[in-house]
Amino acid sequence: MSQIELRDVAIEYRKPKSDESFVAIRGINLSIDKGSFVTIVGSSGCGKSTLLLAIAGLIPRARGSIRVDGRDVAGPGRDRAMVFQEASLLPWRSVHGNVRFGLELQRWSRDNVDQRVAHFIGMVGLGQFADYHPHQLSGGMRQRVNIARALAVDPDVLLLDEPFAALDAQTREVMGNELLHIWEHDKKTALFVTHAIDEAIFLGDKVVVMGKDPGRIKDVVEIDLPRPRTTAMLDSAAFVAYRRTLRDYIAADMQSLQMIEDAA
Amino acid sequence: MTRWFENHQALLSGCISFAVIVLVWQLTVDLGLVKAFFISSPSLVAVEFWRQLMSGELSTNVAVSLSEFACGLGLALVVGTGLGVLASWSRTLEYILEPFIWLGYAFPIIAIYPLFIAWLGLGEPTIIAIAFIFAVTPLYANTLSGIKNADADLIRAARSFGARRRDLFLKIALPGSVPILVAGLRLAVGRALTGVVAGELFGAAAGLGYSIAYYGDKLKTTAMMVSMVLVMIFGVILTQLLSLLEAATDSWRTGPGRS
Ligand SMILES: Nc1ncnc2c1ncn2[C@@H]1O[C@H](COP(=O)(O)OP(=O)(O)O)[C@@H](O)[C@H]1O
Ligand SMILES: [Mg+2]
Repeated sequence: MSQIELRDVAIEYRKPKSDESFVAIRGINLSIDKGSFVTIVGSSGCGKSTLLLAIAGLIPRARGSIRVDGRDVAGPGRDRAMVFQEASLLPWRSVHGNVRFGLELQRWSRDNVDQRVAHFIGMVGLGQFADYHPHQLSGGMRQRVNIARALAVDPDVLLLDEPFAALDAQTREVMGNELLHIWEHDKKTALFVTHAIDEAIFLGDKVVVMGKDPGRIKDVVEIDLPRPRTTAMLDSAAFVAYRRTLRDYIAADMQSLQMIEDAA
Repeated sequence: MTRWFENHQALLSGCISFAVIVLVWQLTVDLGLVKAFFISSPSLVAVEFWRQLMSGELSTNVAVSLSEFACGLGLALVVGTGLGVLASWSRTLEYILEPFIWLGYAFPIIAIYPLFIAWLGLGEPTIIAIAFIFAVTPLYANTLSGIKNADADLIRAARSFGARRRDLFLKIALPGSVPILVAGLRLAVGRALTGVVAGELFGAAAGLGYSIAYYGDKLKTTAMMVSMVLVMIFGVILTQLLSLLEAATDSWRTGPGRS
């Protein structure tokens, strides 16, 4: 059963210093099943963040409809929580305070809040660091806090915008594994943006491939690999085949970019 | 013991350089290099200090200046931060106040002092008004810019969790602008002190600035120096208090601790 439904969605931005608008994405049709893990790949600037922000209800759309569980998305809601790329933790709050932040904003009853916060901090493996402040944590730890903050408000849909983009390759792999581990626990619907092809295949049930000029969906690739996913699969024939398909899609984008640059 | 030295190195070095200055000052006069008439001397100042303390003159001057300082700064704190918050909500108000802020920074306010005397008379209300005007500019400007420059990424993250306007103000803009608010307060304290002393120099019936001007007219260098040194001491004490405040509001930077 599909939980998120996008029909003919277009998002426009105002161009800087003019009244003209710029079409960031258009003609987006997408259905996402409840409990599935969907990844979105595409080269930089093709509108991945824009798409996610629109589903989060943080930016208005120029046309089309976005529905989550049949309800029209008109703004942020308790059914969705977002994990941002970086720098979205409050520097003056501890890990505990940051995870508590979402619960405070959603006016959760104070009774069990601190227990709940502690539970989710433990879940992302930061039990020892509850009293640390963001600047005292590594990039990977900060993203764990971000994830804990989103999970703590118990959303139906988890929206993740390149959460591991700033991390080194090893940390990234570990974090991906842990995220899957957590996800397999309660199977919240997850929408995960990345520009790393391997990450998209490794994590996803489906990979949505986006292209640009204008931002659009080029294809949706079903990833038929068994779960739980393991690092050994990275070298399997199926994985290599998926990698090749996706790389061709993205390379086409890069070529068109090259042509624009050559022409200029 | 070595730890103690490391922790208090700044304080210790400050005391030493202060002691050296006092010593050189005393020696310059004792050795007859400069006449005491021009620069007095630490021992003369100490004796005169005692005389003013005993006669009650000193406590009167200190009390008057301090109360004027406190009133001027307090008023500026309420009005400056209040207007800063309001202006962060209303573009119109911000634009209306903008020219005054430019004036406040660029215009030598003391030049309109005679007007204040005409309106408020010679004395405390005028001094308080001057201190207020001196101090209000940085408080207003820093409050406004602190709140307006709230981190856009944090605001977006908060909105994604359903933050309302009030949440954005109380949980993001306000705590995020604490460092710049404290910086504004630091400027305001210095400017308020300058305002009080300058105001008293030009016309008052009591206060440290008044005492400086009074003895200055009579060419009583030593008596004048007592009030000057007191003003300096206040400056140092206030700066130290602000450093403590800065450390307290900034503690999350320096050590673990729950929000
Ligand atoms: N706030 C904005 N104002 C104007 N243009 C924007 C804004 N945000 C993004 N864009 C433009 O929209 C396009 C898509 O951006 P984005 O969704 O961030 O891409 P991605 O996340 O795939 O890198 C880019 O060309 C970008 O310049
Ligand atoms: Mg992006």
